[in-house]
Amino acid sequence: MPLPQSHHDELFLPHRTNSDFISDAVSIDIQDDLAHHHSTDTVPLLHNTINSHRSSNMTGPHKYSVLLPTYNERENLPVIIWLLTKTFQENNIDYEIIVIDDNSPDGTLEIAKQLQKIYGEDRILLRPRAGKLGLGTAYVHGIQHATGDFIFILDADMSHHPKFMPEMIRLQQSKNLDVVTGTRYAGNGGVYGWDLKRKVISRGANFLATVLLRPGVSDLTGSFRLYKKEVLAKLISSCISKGYVFQMEMMVRARQFDFTIGEVPITFVDRVFGDSKMGAMEIVSYAQGLLKLFVAV
Amino acid sequence: MTRATEAATFFGIIATVYLALLFQLLPISLPETVQDFTLPVLPWWALVTFGAYSLGNIGYHVLTFRDCPEAYDELQVQIAQAQNDLRSKGVTI
Repeated sequence: MPLPQSHHDELFLPHRTNSDFISDAVSIDIQDDLAHHHSTDTVPLLHNTINSHRSSNMTGPHKYSVLLPTYNERENLPVIIWLLTKTFQENNIDYEIIVIDDNSPDGTLEIAKQLQKIYGEDRILLRPRAGKLGLGTAYVHGIQHATGDFIFILDADMSHHPKFMPEMIRLQQSKNLDVVTGTRYAGNGGVYGWDLKRKVISRGANFLATVLLRPGVSDLTGSFRLYKKEVLAKLISSCISKGYVFQMEMMVRARQFDFTIGEVPITFVDRVFGDSKMGAMEIVSYAQGLLKLFVAV
Repeated sequence: MTRATEAATFFGIIATVYLALLFQLLPISLPETVQDFTLPVLPWWALVTFGAYSLGNIGYHVLTFRDCPEAYDELQVQIAQAQNDLRSKGVTI
């Protein structure tokens, strides 16, 4: 199973990227809230590691719970579970996969049950819900049933590839990070399936988000992440947005709470099955979400 | 402090200093060219510079955007593998 190139093994980006031109100028360090010790520019290479007192056991066996919210993923689900189990088995990682199906009409749950027979009920957990209730609540629902001490979240449509998970785990362990996020825009990251228009929109959106929110990560809207369980629980409980702005907010909140964040370059294959929608309404709602975060966080 | 208040504070300070210099409220005397020609257009210059930087940044990243067709090909192979494997184990694919 191919792993990403080794020279990017521990890509650990500074908490500000090159495009943070405005935040560079804010090194006046507006020490507003002493209780709220924001990471300032004094440590350019490391995310602050003052949180080493946090009780995350660095030694001892770890278990990784994968939260997989699904809706109409009958074709993708078997493949993603096959890839996940293959990756975890090959790397001797203790895991469980929690499938949170929102009552898909296409029979996703039936397929999931068949997969459960093959891989075991301790590896594939089914926690379906009565209807399409949204991503945030799916995570809340999933966390309640998770027995691991770490949580992976990724898309079930195979745009995220499990082969990057061992590297995310390695990075997390090497620096005891609270959050590791996959990035499509830095290092060896990339995207397949975007035309020029989509690329421009995506980079423009990322630039806008970086200028406004200064999140310190190169890919703010990505949703392929590894969290410590208690960190994810805290972030979810403090988030106010819905939809994919929710993913952005989690990252911004993570910075607000001074959680340590690392990044691993990933490749993103857009829409293997099905078609993508990126219309004007999406862009408008994105901008609205961004503004809401700008004034709230 | 929210991001919005941080930005507001930052721009507030900059604006105060700028206006103080522009209307010569501070006991500092700047060279004539700076006072009469540079200062009045400084905000516009900053705006244009930021616009140019934005376009340059986005343009650069779009130009150096990494397409990864190899990831797609690899994935297609693995999808076929997965489906065959699971079909043989009894999953209806």
